[in-house]
Amino acid sequence: MKTVSLGAPRSSTVKFHRPTRDNLVPIRVDIEVDGQRYRDAFTWNPRDPDSEVITFAKRTAKELKLPATFVPQILQSIQGQLAEFRSYEGQEMQVKEKIMPLKIDLRVNNTTIRDQFLWDIGNLESDPEEFARTLCDDLNITDPEVGPAIAVCIREQLYEIASQTVSAMREAKMSKKRRAPEFASNSKAMNNAVDMFKYFGSKGSVIRKRKEWYLYEPVVDVVPKEEAAVVDAKEQLK
Amino acid sequence: MATPPAPVPPVTANSAPTPAQSPFKAPPFSQPPSTAGTLKTEIPPASSSAAIAAGVAAVGAAAEDSSHVITVPSYSGWFSYDSISDTERRLLPEFFEGEVAAVSGSRGPEAYKYYRNTLVKRFRARPARRLTLTEARRGLIGDVGSVRRVFDFLEEWGLINHGAPPLGAKQGKDKREEATTSQSSLPAGPTTPKKLCVGCRSVCGSAYFTCEKADISICCRCFVRGNYRPGLTPADFKKVEISEDAKSDWTDKETLHLLEAVLHYGEDWKKVSEHVGSRSEKDCIARLIRLSFGEQFMGSKEQKMEFEIDDDVNNESRAEIPKRPRLTPLADASNPIMQRVAFLSAIVGSGVAAAAAQAAISAQSQVDMNDNQTDSPISSTKEEVFSAESSYTNGFSANDLLKEASTNAQVQLQKEQKDIEQSLSAIVDVQMKEIQDKISRFEQKELLMEKEREQLHHLRELLFVDQLAVVQHQRRPHAVAAENKEEEKPKPIITMG
Repeated sequence: MKTVSLGAPRSSTVKFHRPTRDNLVPIRVDIEVDGQRYRDAFTWNPRDPDSEVITFAKRTAKELKLPATFVPQILQSIQGQLAEFRSYEGQEMQVKEKIMPLKIDLRVNNTTIRDQFLWDIGNLESDPEEFARTLCDDLNITDPEVGPAIAVCIREQLYEIASQTVSAMREAKMSKKRRAPEFASNSKAMNNAVDMFKYFGSKGSVIRKRKEWYLYEPVVDVVPKEEAAVVDAKEQLK
Repeated sequence: MATPPAPVPPVTANSAPTPAQSPFKAPPFSQPPSTAGTLKTEIPPASSSAAIAAGVAAVGAAAEDSSHVITVPSYSGWFSYDSISDTERRLLPEFFEGEVAAVSGSRGPEAYKYYRNTLVKRFRARPARRLTLTEARRGLIGDVGSVRRVFDFLEEWGLINHGAPPLGAKQGKDKREEATTSQSSLPAGPTTPKKLCVGCRSVCGSAYFTCEKADISICCRCFVRGNYRPGLTPADFKKVEISEDAKSDWTDKETLHLLEAVLHYGEDWKKVSEHVGSRSEKDCIARLIRLSFGEQFMGSKEQKMEFEIDDDVNNESRAEIPKRPRLTPLADASNPIMQRVAFLSAIVGSGVAAAAAQAAISAQSQVDMNDNQTDSPISSTKEEVFSAESSYTNGFSANDLLKEASTNAQVQLQKEQKDIEQSLSAIVDVQMKEIQDKISRFEQKELLMEKEREQLHHLRELLFVDQLAVVQHQRRPHAVAAENKEEEKPKPIITMG
């Protein structure tokens, strides 16, 4: 067990696990066939058998009335992302209490939402789904599709962070440097981590300063349809 | 739990939501269906499991929305928004048992409740429209696997998409439960002119079967194949004919015309149909047969029972069906009399049919005598039917044929056995012969060898004798002159010997 300069919280190595209660995989699908575009994002439970993937792909294509050519592409996309996840699975990552800012900047149908908040990636009990649900309820977001989008977004960011941790661990092992502070600072992502000590030291207080409030407010906009269409078109051109 | 962000300040002014549909949070329904008054409680829901077709699908009453009535099948009467029933616990254990459920947020009972209530609410907001899984899971926060499982469960139990129009190929899914719920939810209207079979989705032919219990109708083929819900027996089905009568009823006037025409014109169906008016010849004949003259026909019909063979005896596939009153939908559909005959004989069984036939014969002869004045057409049609009848198989009942068949089989079996034995013994014989041949050949060879040995022996002896002779011969004549040679000659000879 290594102690970090942060003091009491100790780091431990565990098997790769997203810092969430469920080890779910965020999947993003974006396929274009013959001018028809299918974009989707959802969470998948990697414990489901692989036969589920093909069933899911077929069902989705049927319900959305997509031509059959979509099905193998969807399948490949999902399976690829699952495989990537699984490749991380056996490896170790270091888990300690680390608070990272996460950002949400999404547009779903007519609703845009921007938010920024702090998330403890060392907490294995965290639940992005719960967070998304609460957020939608509190902000009275009526479009039910916003919730899953938020959850997927959070998971993707956590996934990024976690995979960086894993690769950092690997590098550290290979280079045989075992000094915790060293690789803590090596990783770019970790640099963003907030030094809680600074906050909660004797001089700081838990309550955010008033002038920083605006940074951490969630902003939800409901845009009228025409604007949404315009923005959509712009994105497609990109 | 995750460290929540700083307390969320109230929403900014821009985000006033304008719901297109009623927000699924606000429950528009006042009562869960389990408390609705007029539920049919035929089948207790606890008795079914997902594998068994979910009981009788009579549609129960509903909870009332402001504008629509939501129907829920009676076997799903346990559903309520506030609680999780045992059925759900049993059928979706992954949400309720095990460490996984306890640990994970996406798999716990609260999550299950959230999914379930959201799905049901969404469906009920638009009950005429089928809720697809994709739509549903897009609106639900959670992993799609779990959502799919809850969705499938709800759909199966009719809490979702009950009565909603099916989505094309989805009917082809091989879940029997889905098939049965869709069967039950289809509007089985006996008033529809074209009868669509619920089992195979094809137009029924001239006859179909309805079941009151399940309120479904299937075509002959499906009935034969047993293509209906497992809870039903063939006895529940009633045969309904799409006959000309049903299509357009014969008024009394028309019947009167018909009778007149027949009296006048006899067998000339063209003229008869003309006289009647808007009826084809076939119609006339059929109608005539069905009339009260049918009583006279009853005699001949019963006689036919004696000859009657259900088509299923001819039809091998049905040989295994146990003997119990069963309908014979494959009876010759084009001939209405045959249908009746087949039906009746099947109903009463072979013994009764035979007795009836006897009585019929005697009655028939009487009728024949009384009947001379009327209708040559009637008697001619009788004869036609007769000949058609006799062209069927000879007068064995199903039982006898079966017995015969079984004894035949026995005999065949024994024959086979004997054949096998014979061929076995033949084989054994042949092998013995082979062995004997070999033995004799070996003996011959031995003999030959003996002979050769003896010859050799003989030759050796001869040789020896010759050597002796030579030696002696040499010694005597040359005894005098061969003192020198004695030393030489005996040596070579001796070395040779």
